[in-house]
Amino acid sequence: MSTPVTRRTFLAAGAATAAAGWAVPLRAQPRAIKIGVIHPVTGPLAEPGQACRLGAQMAADTINAAGGIKSLGGAKLELLLGDTQTKPDVGRAEAERVVNAGAQLLMGSFDSGSTAAMVPVAQQRRVPFLVDIAAADPITANVAKAVRDGQQKVQYVYRNFPTGSTFGRRAVQYFGEVFKEAGVSPKRLVLMYCNDLFGQNSARGFQAAHAAAKPAWDIVEVIPWPEPPQDLSTEVSRAKAARPDIIAPITRPASAQLLLPEIRKQRIEMMGIVGPGSPGLYEAGQLAVLKEDLEYVLTSVPWPNFKSPRTNAVAEDYRKRAAGKTFDTNSGYSYDGMFVIADVLERAASTEADAIVEAMKKTNYTGGLMQYGGPIAFNEIGDNANAIPTMIQILAQKPVAVWPREAALHKFVFPRPRA
Amino acid sequence: VDLTLAAQGLLSGLLFGGVYSLMAVGLSLIFGVMRVVNFAHGDMMVWGMYLAYLLAARAGVDPYLGLVVCAAALFALGLGVQRALVDRIMDAPHEMQILLMLGVALVLENAALVAFGPEPTRVRTPLAATTWYLGPLYVDVARLCTFGMAIALTALLYLFLFRTALGRSIRAAADNPYGALVIGTDVRRVYGVAFGIGAACVGAAGALVSPILPFEPATGLSLSVTSFNIVIIGGMGSLLGAFVGGLLVSVAESLGAVFLAPSLKGLVSFVLLIAILLFRPTGLLGRRPA
Repeated sequence: MSTPVTRRTFLAAGAATAAAGWAVPLRAQPRAIKIGVIHPVTGPLAEPGQACRLGAQMAADTINAAGGIKSLGGAKLELLLGDTQTKPDVGRAEAERVVNAGAQLLMGSFDSGSTAAMVPVAQQRRVPFLVDIAAADPITANVAKAVRDGQQKVQYVYRNFPTGSTFGRRAVQYFGEVFKEAGVSPKRLVLMYCNDLFGQNSARGFQAAHAAAKPAWDIVEVIPWPEPPQDLSTEVSRAKAARPDIIAPITRPASAQLLLPEIRKQRIEMMGIVGPGSPGLYEAGQLAVLKEDLEYVLTSVPWPNFKSPRTNAVAEDYRKRAAGKTFDTNSGYSYDGMFVIADVLERAASTEADAIVEAMKKTNYTGGLMQYGGPIAFNEIGDNANAIPTMIQILAQKPVAVWPREAALHKFVFPRPRA
Repeated sequence: VDLTLAAQGLLSGLLFGGVYSLMAVGLSLIFGVMRVVNFAHGDMMVWGMYLAYLLAARAGVDPYLGLVVCAAALFALGLGVQRALVDRIMDAPHEMQILLMLGVALVLENAALVAFGPEPTRVRTPLAATTWYLGPLYVDVARLCTFGMAIALTALLYLFLFRTALGRSIRAAADNPYGALVIGTDVRRVYGVAFGIGAACVGAAGALVSPILPFEPATGLSLSVTSFNIVIIGGMGSLLGAFVGGLLVSVAESLGAVFLAPSLKGLVSFVLLIAILLFRPTGLLGRRPA
């Protein structure tokens, strides 16, 4: 049964819609620039996704409190928030939704699958898209190639985050440096990873970097698992059978909660767990659950530059607003992303898409809170080559930067002490 | 192939299988009695896990004791869902039943999201950190306990269904609702109790697995899918089939991770499903529909 729409109800609904429509311009008196900010706020990646959202909101609040975008008459940044639910199709639909609602820029979206799904929306609708977090190389590389081949005119997608291949290269480099500094020479490394777009891309980047660098250690076994897993005991038995000196895991939060206790239970004799870079191995929520299983775990991740007083001030503010959670990779890169957008808009002095892209290409921003290898600038692929990871370690149940030397706040402990 | 590894895979798979069995037995009971597929099964299990978590974190109750509370709470939830919702659509077409149960699943999942937040968590008990060694093989004590209790609970359910008057009414209503009504069975009451027991099984399974498996509100869907898979392999409505199917699927996945790439282990159980549907559509122990 359906209620027929009568002329009367139709007119009433139309009048109501029109009234609501009129109300908007009257309320929005100072000019606002709408920015679609899309992250996985629910679903398996909700913890990092919510951190991203809060980081972006805090940055926008700071920018607005300091007078907004001055070259646009003090226009404020207005965030249109979206949730990918950790599903690529939803990521795309959310991007469409915020663009239809008037978003002039997009930022997001943490998870490589959803981010890749948002790229066509940015390109087709001509909306500049700053990827704040997502590592899979093709996200920007495919667009750059399409522009180079003349299939598309303008690249609207830029990324301020290390790519999978950067992660791989830096991880292999840091591993070698840490082993050398510690005076040990591990021979056998087992690579374990979650078999999704992020995990596959990171594992491939790591293996390619290993093949190129030819270090003294070998990858003796590669073990992918379906994500999310319900059981990893057999995978860990396989790793144990390969007699590893090092286990290098690429995890997600839930799989890290299965993997690390299992490694402890099966009592694998080795020098330590050293991750090439992934979520799940350092966040406050993970530490609360995994406790001593995370102690001495090393991971190469994008990390805030805690040597800067500004980073520490923002981190303290974040702790208050996030119920005690620490300012880390996710909140930090989203925070920096919003400031890069503000910097780009300031220089573009326009909200026209191609003017924003021109300003984006000329970016040379040094105010980032994360540990960078130089100013934020975008190369011919649209990536920031100075976005690099830092080696961190869980020491006394806190993540601390331990390598490279210029970023280190503490000396690393490796090999890990025997239990 | 490394024989130790294969033996370890077999052992780990078998021990984990107890939980799969208990999950599937609950689903199979509900389907067998009411011909309603409980799409909220996995989400009910997640609530069992969170209750065990609350009991452990707030009151220090070990999940192996807390499972009594979890089972009782889920029994009440199941009874409530049956009385308030399922009872109204018993004779409705299947697609309407599916939509209703998916709706219940969404409500349960999002209620968990509001109540507990999105981060994955797990229950920490001293037992979960203990392992025994049998020569080169290791036995995870938490899994062993889980396995033992899952078997014991399934046996109890069997005794209940075959040795008590209420159990006999449940089986009568499952076999022939009209006949059961004619001989004076309160079929509506039986349906409510059966749904409650099915939910209690999965609530207990949730408590049992909470020290082994990390969970979050979104975990329910994959548990529901695993349960359906097992029930179809074992035979729709057959409790013994669900029990055997649970062990079989768990061992198959574990051995799949030994002999194939671990990322293909999910494939193993679904290939098993397709093979069963092609060559024995009633499932391993299912009866032909009358």
